[in-house]
Amino acid sequence: MGRKILLIEDDRETASYLAKGLSQEGHSVEQAANGQDGLFRATDGSFDLIILDRMLPVLDGISVLRAIRAAHIETPVLILSALASVGDRIEGLECGSDDYLVKPFSFAELLARVNALLRRRESRVDPADHRLAVGDLEIDPLSRTVKRAGKKLDLKPREYLLLEYFARNEGRVVTRTMLLEQVWDYHFDPGTNVIDVHVSRLRRKLDEGFEKPLLHTVRGAGYMLEA
Amino acid sequence: MPTTLRIALLAGLLALVSNLAVIGFIYVRTHDEAVASLHRQVAEESKVLTDVYRTGGKNALNEAIDDTLTYADPQTAVALLSPDGRELKGNLAQAPSLQGLQEGYRSAVIRLRGQPSPHQAEIMLSRLPRGEWLVSGRLVGEGLAFRATLERSLILSLFVAGLLGLLCGVILAHYVSRRIGSIAAVANRISARDLTQRVPLSGAGDSFDRLGSQINAMLDRISGLMEELRLLTDSLAHDLRSPVSRLRAAAQAAAETNDPREQEELLGSVVRNADALMRILTTVLEISRSEALTGRHQFAWFDAGELAAELTEMYDPLADEQGASLKFEKPDRAAPLFGHRQLLAQALSNLLENAIRYGSDGGEIDVRVERGDKRVRIEVGDRGPGIPLDRRQEALRRFGRLDSSRSDEGAGLGLALARSIAHLHEGELRLDDNRPGLLTTLDLPIHLPERSR
Repeated sequence: MGRKILLIEDDRETASYLAKGLSQEGHSVEQAANGQDGLFRATDGSFDLIILDRMLPVLDGISVLRAIRAAHIETPVLILSALASVGDRIEGLECGSDDYLVKPFSFAELLARVNALLRRRESRVDPADHRLAVGDLEIDPLSRTVKRAGKKLDLKPREYLLLEYFARNEGRVVTRTMLLEQVWDYHFDPGTNVIDVHVSRLRRKLDEGFEKPLLHTVRGAGYMLEA
Repeated sequence: MPTTLRIALLAGLLALVSNLAVIGFIYVRTHDEAVASLHRQVAEESKVLTDVYRTGGKNALNEAIDDTLTYADPQTAVALLSPDGRELKGNLAQAPSLQGLQEGYRSAVIRLRGQPSPHQAEIMLSRLPRGEWLVSGRLVGEGLAFRATLERSLILSLFVAGLLGLLCGVILAHYVSRRIGSIAAVANRISARDLTQRVPLSGAGDSFDRLGSQINAMLDRISGLMEELRLLTDSLAHDLRSPVSRLRAAAQAAAETNDPREQEELLGSVVRNADALMRILTTVLEISRSEALTGRHQFAWFDAGELAAELTEMYDPLADEQGASLKFEKPDRAAPLFGHRQLLAQALSNLLENAIRYGSDGGEIDVRVERGDKRVRIEVGDRGPGIPLDRRQEALRRFGRLDSSRSDEGAGLGLALARSIAHLHEGELRLDDNRPGLLTTLDLPIHLPERSR
């Protein structure tokens, strides 16, 4: 199902590459090449997602974001930025953006985040205690219990959080950095495969002994929970 | 005008002006005193004679004048003049012209009878009731002579003072320019790109020595930074070389191959190498940011014990895979810390990764959080090979990777980043012997000291 995305990016090459990729995913993309134009279009309020470059001519990304939020437009905003330091990321998030992606990034990473943001908007009204089910997997967020084929799984707290995040993004690619940011709330780039180790532990508890695996590795992108 | 001359002239001028002021004061005081005392004497005599006239009449006055002439000292001048100015009685050889004169004091040049030349005198004129004039006065010859001597010696002393001042100035200027000159010479040689020069100190501990040692400290810091920068640029160029060449090789091979599977694999390698490059650059940037103390506005209170627990839990599976066990004992009480939680998480994760990477053979890795009165210490101790004392400084430097044959990208930056994050918090990163193994300690103040907030 296609969505309306506003892409505010001054670099023409990046903009057309992203617009093409997102269109192929079925979204309709409107483009703005500077901050002022971007802000003008954003105030329309009809978009499902705004992708905003941080460094823009005329009006910079952070100012655009502040103006958008000041106008009570709650459209999710994903910031793209070449400013990669931890401090920059925190600043970008604290200004009211919903996600922050550092350039250069793979399209798969961007797409995963775009899908997660769009899905969050869709499920915003869902109560947190709503039971989650993926195939024969059942998750109860209230009691934090997980059952597969009726059998209770013994998960550590962090493994539970990991699985819940996967389940809330069922059928969508989740990248390693998304897991680090969303499940652990850390915004640095670890030099090791520490996230992969956690995922493979979870996978062992989740899929071992079952014929049909639920947690899949998506090459070059990340992981996906799908029945 | 050269500085030496200017300082000499200035000192000479100052000596001259201050002497002039003293001399002027003495001159004015002695002059005034002398004149005042003369005036008092003259007035006294004049009053006595006038009183004599008033009570005894003209005859008594004549007698009194005679007495005065007989008994008074030879400096005394006394005369009775007729209303038209002729001398009736007295010792004036030459009467002063009375034209336009009035009663009162005046200075006049008079000649006494029996004396060869006229003299300067202070006289007082009083008009008697019948129109005669009473002249009473004193020669100031003696006082004048004294004053002339005084003036001459004062003027002479003025010259001497001026000369001495000039001499002092020259010596002073020479001294100052010699001390300053040695500092300037060092600065000159440094400008000519020789950063090893240092200002020689006289050992006197004076302001010049203080200036010199401050300049030396500044130079030490600059050359330290220069050296670090040079090492950094060298290592950056060196460390970027291998991922770039791998990237280039993979890209070229991908362009040349016809096998789609192989091509996909090669392109994957291109992306991985590009990511590795970006990671190195981001880390170098992060280190520079922290060293420049940016990011303090994002400081907040958090519990260091909780952070350590969280990260230990996060890295435990990784350590497990490497055959080590990560142990964390939760401290009895909270260890609140005012700092950058995200950056400290990164610093601690670097220490953990370092311990897992190099110290896993030893089996156990211990994480501890100790809370002191003013500081919080976060320790990671492994049982691996450790780092010998003489290599520890190098291990903390950017790209100071001890084993240069290792190919894990960016591994040489982990400790350097942790150290720069400690610096951002006004703390330090220490490497110690864990007997055996390596003990890394993030030693941080609970909050920034007042002066650096």
